[in-house]
Amino acid sequence: MLNAAYVGRTLPATAPHVVTSAEVAAFRAALGMSAEGPAPATFLVSHTLPASDRLVDDPDFGLDFTRVLHREQRFAHARPVVPGDALTCTVHVESIKTVAGNDVLTTRTEVAAGDETVSTVWTTLFVRGDA
Amino acid sequence: MIIDTAYTITRADLVAYANASGDQNPIHQDELAAKAAGLPDVIAHGMYTMGLGARALTAWAGSEDAILEYTVRFAKPVVVPAEGGAEVRITGEIRKELEDGLVEVNLTVTCGGEKVLAPARATVRKP
Repeated sequence: MLNAAYVGRTLPATAPHVVTSAEVAAFRAALGMSAEGPAPATFLVSHTLPASDRLVDDPDFGLDFTRVLHREQRFAHARPVVPGDALTCTVHVESIKTVAGNDVLTTRTEVAAGDETVSTVWTTLFVRGDA
Repeated sequence: MIIDTAYTITRADLVAYANASGDQNPIHQDELAAKAAGLPDVIAHGMYTMGLGARALTAWAGSEDAILEYTVRFAKPVVVPAEGGAEVRITGEIRKELEDGLVEVNLTVTCGGEKVLAPARATVRKP
């Protein structure tokens, strides 16, 4: 079971991570696109996923990743990501709902370059209970 | 219908995607790990299939940064066999015309006739 006391909490912003053209090219190539070009609309998951590791690693939160299924994902982009952007991620625990012994966790991550919002990313995980 | 396309996902794609995205969950690469998790075989990252949807949307829009908003629900996993991979079919239609040259697009994403992303919706700058 997840610790519902975490709802409404915000993790400290991650240290800036500078986007390289090589990482954008690798992401594009993996999706079968030409290496040259802008970051795909789903690229920021490579930043938001590690930003959430601190929740996975926190024993008080109780998130067992071997029981997790990705249920929903949403991106709202204020502008495209470009190589050279120094991006920070601020993860908010938006909601935890318990349904028939399973937990449904939604996080919202604000991705910013300095003071400028680049994207808002929502991730909803289904966490299988013991039953 | 504005989009009607299909992509094949192979195990090699999933390894490349795991490295590019940082999602190294073994259920996306290793049959034993997938079966231990109660799955029939290796499954694609949901985000891989979502990424293919974005690829189809931007191919239609004629601009690779045309997606402003993109939301999906992962309805069923895409099982990727070692031989031949899995074919994902993507169709799309305009659901609503918005202001400023934007449209809301509904995608239908299936594998083996079953919906794998449902719903899948995006706000896109029109071509």
